[in-house]
Amino acid sequence: MSARPGITVVVPVFNEQSNVTPLVDAAARALAGMSWELILVDDGSDDGTATEAARIARGDRRVRVIRLARNFGQTAATQAGFDHARGNVVVTMDGDLQNDPADIPRLVAKLNEGYDLVAGWRERRHDTLLTRRVPSWLANRLIRWLTGVPIRDNGCSLRAYRSELLERVRLYSDQHRFIAAVAAALGAARVAEIPVRHHARRWGRSKYGLARAPRVLADLLTIHMIRSFRERPLALFGLGALAAAALGFAFATAAVISLTSFGVAKANAVVLPGAALLCWGLACYLVLLGLLAEVALREEREANPGVLPVAHQEGV
Amino acid sequence: MTAQTRPAPGASLMTVRPGGRAFSIAVIVPVSHGADSLVELYRDYSEPLRAQSGWSFEFVVVAEPWYRDLTSPLVALAARGERIRVFHVGQSVGETTLLRVGLANTDAEIVVVLPAYRRVEPAALRELVQRVSDGADLAVARRWPRRDPWINRLQTRAFHALIGGLADGRLHDVACGVSAMRREVLERAPLYGDLLRFLPVFAIRQGYQLEEIAAAQHAADGRARVHGPGTYLRRLVDLLGLVFLLRFTEKPLRFFGLIGGLLTSGGGAVLTLLLLQRLAGRGIADRPLLLLGVLLVVLGVQAIALGLIGEIVVHLHAGHQRGYRLRDAASRTDRPA
Repeated sequence: MSARPGITVVVPVFNEQSNVTPLVDAAARALAGMSWELILVDDGSDDGTATEAARIARGDRRVRVIRLARNFGQTAATQAGFDHARGNVVVTMDGDLQNDPADIPRLVAKLNEGYDLVAGWRERRHDTLLTRRVPSWLANRLIRWLTGVPIRDNGCSLRAYRSELLERVRLYSDQHRFIAAVAAALGAARVAEIPVRHHARRWGRSKYGLARAPRVLADLLTIHMIRSFRERPLALFGLGALAAAALGFAFATAAVISLTSFGVAKANAVVLPGAALLCWGLACYLVLLGLLAEVALREEREANPGVLPVAHQEGV
Repeated sequence: MTAQTRPAPGASLMTVRPGGRAFSIAVIVPVSHGADSLVELYRDYSEPLRAQSGWSFEFVVVAEPWYRDLTSPLVALAARGERIRVFHVGQSVGETTLLRVGLANTDAEIVVVLPAYRRVEPAALRELVQRVSDGADLAVARRWPRRDPWINRLQTRAFHALIGGLADGRLHDVACGVSAMRREVLERAPLYGDLLRFLPVFAIRQGYQLEEIAAAQHAADGRARVHGPGTYLRRLVDLLGLVFLLRFTEKPLRFFGLIGGLLTSGGGAVLTLLLLQRLAGRGIADRPLLLLGVLLVVLGVQAIALGLIGEIVVHLHAGHQRGYRLRDAASRTDRPA
């Protein structure tokens, strides 16, 4: 095995047969003079992408190909690339040439100023306004608010990471959409952003649609919860329990008022007290679930106490 | 009982291993629901493997403790030098665990799973193993043409109508269960309990190369099967477990959140209606509808909270698991430590 390269470029590709060669050529031009490797992660393409990638890899030892057994999705493909990356700096980009590899040196230079993660943001986007750009704007506001990470363009794949940061992050489900936010939040990373170029799609078809919105919301909620309550899950569930108890108290008060003002004989003695009891039941249930979460997290902390955020010694 | 890779204490460990070398094919027969004559089974199904030059095989029979009288003739055969090994576990553990016990006790590269009942003509075994040695990861037999009554076929049809989507419509007879595979497929399938029959579905979802071949149905498989309602109920529960396992284990909140969201919005609609009526001057303290609304919201919140617990569990395990499988080991280059 050759010496560790300085930069690993990870490119998940799915049915990008005509894009692979121009992509690798552009990356090679952009990275000329640097020590780099490029990992093409073939995410179960069925159009000859794999053959094309293998052909390139045979001709250029800096290019490696990883083939997934079927189409596992961009998150899994990206994680597969991370798992096989050897560079100290890992750069991700899309396989469809909408990102420009010429931006990579600038990302890396910015990273070397002392950041763990440098995200590109697409200054001038070449996508349709209504179905791509408006939802994307909304999603970014929401992600920024929920994760607390000030990244304005979570949809841009062109990013550079320090490998220490990626070792602390495991992507699953559909987290590639907010990988930067996840990495930054869980690894307590220092984050910078620089504008990057964005080209209109030259070959092939876009593989995104609007139908993903509810799923993105559920994933976002999860990330928010895990980030903010990882240290104290009881707080989250306790908050819910408190709200439920308060609601129950309101119903109970109404019941008492109703009973005292109408008398036991006339007032309905079932509905309001029943509602109060239901709410209090929910409160108890949530407290118990919070305790359960504490148990689960405690297990993990005992098994794996060593995961600390990336820290930097000042003045070195 | 969870996946157990060694025979339970008290199992009789037969170490009849002629020559002590690795076999290339292991035919594993789990015996958990009784069986036809195992001696006949061995005679019939070893025949097509015997005929092939270059193939070495062994039968590994793993039985629950109550079937000693079925397996003792096999032990006698083994003592005479036939290629059989018999294992017993000490408890009732289910087919999947029996199979894992068998797998743990053989180092064959190709594993054939053979139910203790004769389902297909023995010649199918040769075809299945051939497919695997030609490069398929998993070859499964489909009983075709069928010779059993229409009621059985109807059940097979109905069952596959249910699982069709999960398997991309590529499977037609999961219940048959006769299959050959590279041992890795079986080792890495997250199966438990009665989910063994769904091994091909897992294999497809993991991107293994699967081939289904038509095999003539065995004459002994022809009797009509109508089970009690409990059996069908268990199948349905299995199916639910399978769907959850395949689609939501990485994202439980999507499943619980869907249920919780529906319940909560139902309850929310009821409560909104009541609130509007209250504002219009109509009292609500005597309306049982209020109870329904509160109940629905409570249930919905509970479901979502459970989903969040699930997400915590998944998050905690994410570090140990990979959501992908590589196509071949050759393209694997491990990250240096």
